[in-house]
Amino acid sequence: MSDLTEIQHLYWRAGFGLSPTEQQTRQNWTRRQAIDDLFNQAETAKPLPENASPDYSGDMMSAASAQEKRKKEQQLLVGINYDWVKRMANAEESALLERMTFFWHDHFACETKFSLLATRQLNTLRKHALGNFKDLVLAIARDPSMIRYLNNQQNRKLKPNENFARELMELFTIGRGRYTESDVKEAARAFTGWSSNKEGEYVFRIRQHDDGEKTFMGATGNFNGEDIIDLILKQKETAQFICRKIYACFVNEQVDEVRVNSLAKDFRSSGYDIGQLMQQVFSSDWFYAPENVGNRIKSPIELMAGMMRQLNVTQISPTGLIGMERALGQILLKPPNVAGWPGGRAWIDNSTLLLRLNLAGALFKAAEINFNLAPELEAETKKKLKQLVAEMNLGPLTSLAGTGNGADQYQRLASYLLQAPTPPFGPQAQRVVFTKNPSLMAVQLMSLPEYQLC
Amino acid sequence: MKRRDFLKASTLASTALFTPTFLRGFSRNQMTASRSGKILIVLQLSGGNDGLNTIIPFGDDIYYQKRPVLGIPASEVLKLNEVQGLHPAMGPLRELYNQGELSIINSVGYPDPNRSHFRSMDIWQTGSPATEAWSTGWIGRHLDTLTNQPAYHALEVDDGLSLAMKGELRTGFAMSDANRLRQAVNNQRFASLPTEHATEGNLHYLYKTLTETTDAAGYLYEQSRVYKSKVSFPRNAFGRDLQQIAELITADTATNIYYASLGGFDTHAGQKGRQQRLLTQYAEGVSALVKDLKQNNLFDDVLIMTFSEFGRRLAQNGSGGTDHGTANNVMMIGGKLKKNGFYNPSPDLSKLENEDLIHQVDFRNCYADVIDNWLGGDAKAVLKGKFAGLGVV
Repeated sequence: MSDLTEIQHLYWRAGFGLSPTEQQTRQNWTRRQAIDDLFNQAETAKPLPENASPDYSGDMMSAASAQEKRKKEQQLLVGINYDWVKRMANAEESALLERMTFFWHDHFACETKFSLLATRQLNTLRKHALGNFKDLVLAIARDPSMIRYLNNQQNRKLKPNENFARELMELFTIGRGRYTESDVKEAARAFTGWSSNKEGEYVFRIRQHDDGEKTFMGATGNFNGEDIIDLILKQKETAQFICRKIYACFVNEQVDEVRVNSLAKDFRSSGYDIGQLMQQVFSSDWFYAPENVGNRIKSPIELMAGMMRQLNVTQISPTGLIGMERALGQILLKPPNVAGWPGGRAWIDNSTLLLRLNLAGALFKAAEINFNLAPELEAETKKKLKQLVAEMNLGPLTSLAGTGNGADQYQRLASYLLQAPTPPFGPQAQRVVFTKNPSLMAVQLMSLPEYQLC
Repeated sequence: MKRRDFLKASTLASTALFTPTFLRGFSRNQMTASRSGKILIVLQLSGGNDGLNTIIPFGDDIYYQKRPVLGIPASEVLKLNEVQGLHPAMGPLRELYNQGELSIINSVGYPDPNRSHFRSMDIWQTGSPATEAWSTGWIGRHLDTLTNQPAYHALEVDDGLSLAMKGELRTGFAMSDANRLRQAVNNQRFASLPTEHATEGNLHYLYKTLTETTDAAGYLYEQSRVYKSKVSFPRNAFGRDLQQIAELITADTATNIYYASLGGFDTHAGQKGRQQRLLTQYAEGVSALVKDLKQNNLFDDVLIMTFSEFGRRLAQNGSGGTDHGTANNVMMIGGKLKKNGFYNPSPDLSKLENEDLIHQVDFRNCYADVIDNWLGGDAKAVLKGKFAGLGVV
């Protein structure tokens, strides 16, 4: 594999691909330089600004104004979603930080109706995304949206609610089969009183907390929630569970258990340092092995953010973008349930595949750049297309395509746009090569099934 | 010439004309496939249809006490027995009832009912317990148990595919309009895709899905042109969906499961007019579908199951509507029901939990009945547990 292919692979997995300009400036970089660049950029990222705090109590409000408030919050949530995709697509932002935050958003899947709580949760994920996993779990256990989402405000001494305690173990830390039903009950007791107030802040309600003795995973004591998290993190299976998920997401959905166990050992002895774990993954030779390159089905968000980055999309309408998220099956801040998005081949069915293959064409058409969409294609995507008002700057992509004959341009674009091997030229590819038009070449390449992989 | 033979001949001739070049591997048998086995049509009423104003317990005083404004006067109810009757907009279903072609299952739900639309719809579509979040649907898992079936064995008449139709290994097929789908795949860029590509892995999976989609688009387009219904379907989206289903069935299409939805049932305010309109659409559409199937002697092969993600609260709210509830009725319509009429007694309105109906029949018992006794499938494998059938189908 050439160095540039390695660098592209790294940026696809640790970020959302490279813009044409980024790719040009990284032509001669080593892996090490690129990894350092990703981590350095992540350190300079700032928290997201919080909106003004709305009233979360919901009391004393007429039905009409409650509905108006819901609508307003809905719009703000759409804005947070939209801004996030734009950050993912923006070369000025930290790709690694956005990528990790996106990973944790899927891992600690949660939905809230309140925009401020969503922003706060995102800031929590951003703050710890490359930090310490224990800090992250603890912050999530105290996160008001998660507390509401998993009913922990109803978890009281006299009437424990097990929802959060169960998901904490099953989905967030150690995985199914590594704890007993009694562990769930005891953990729920330890998290009683971890609640949130009407200002949308975490509060510990001491009178609802069960301070009694608990027996959890073989240990006995007057445990509170933090003690429970410590006890879970003591188990080597927790490190393995997290490393397996990281491997499946960043390396290959076919998990290599030997590598996972080796990562997990180091992860645990580092005290659960996420940054160090990711450094190790991205620095390993096996990360760049051919079987781990260009074989991963992009999630809808990765597909769209990557496309916007490669095509320098400067404007796109929020309704169009979110409509596309919906049609492709991944709306940020709205995971299907606490287990997150199933991912992989579950993204693909006949309707989403056609939409994905037509997406580049639709974007070019929406941006009205030098591109006449086949009329029959327009019929299928008409409704969605109409909303997809986009502007793009194709200067950098054209410059990447360079000069020379059409075949050379096509080859350069292909190795930039595709992580999977370029398929042999079909008649249509030959036609676009003949035009020497980089836009038409890009659309042709981005409409290949190969483009769905990274 | 029999209809089926004629179909085979005509389909073969015209599909060859526009099949993209990269699809040389497709099988001719599949392109001329016809149906074997029974047909299930699932109709989803999205938003939480108010079951208590659909199958109305007019014989229960509590109903009128709790719904002083929204209650449908007994004089307007289309009475089916001395306790329950149909909403006035559901006239056509009374005919089905009288002919023994409608079965009503009261109080269907699940333990720990969830009142969120999305969550409860996921529970219904996946067939999971309320305490678990599954990522595959019940029809999808049924598809997983089958071999050698085309992509369109289960067909959803919609732009997107519902979770219900997604399995671990196989998924159903989504198509809102056969002609539009054909146009979408019949495009230059797909036509020149390479014929040789990966034989395994995700790239193979993408090409395979695209090939199946293109195959299916050609096949379904041809099938959609075989027969034009002589029945007049209502001129709305739901009516058109059902007409498309009727025409595909009559054309002997090798599809055994159809899925369609009618939305808008979330009637927190102004319920009366809205539900009236929606139930009219539903009843007129279903009536036309049944009439068409009967004209073609196909009704005995068809079962229509209607559900909604939850019912609504017994008590009306302050805005002329009802809020999210729990248990609801499921309707089964078919020419060969084993048990017709009311499966079980009217909901007990005097025994509520959090002001909501308490479910008496688990929805997975309905699914088990359909899977085991109608589709000839394996309900235990699909539902990941033993659920008895109802003996309705």
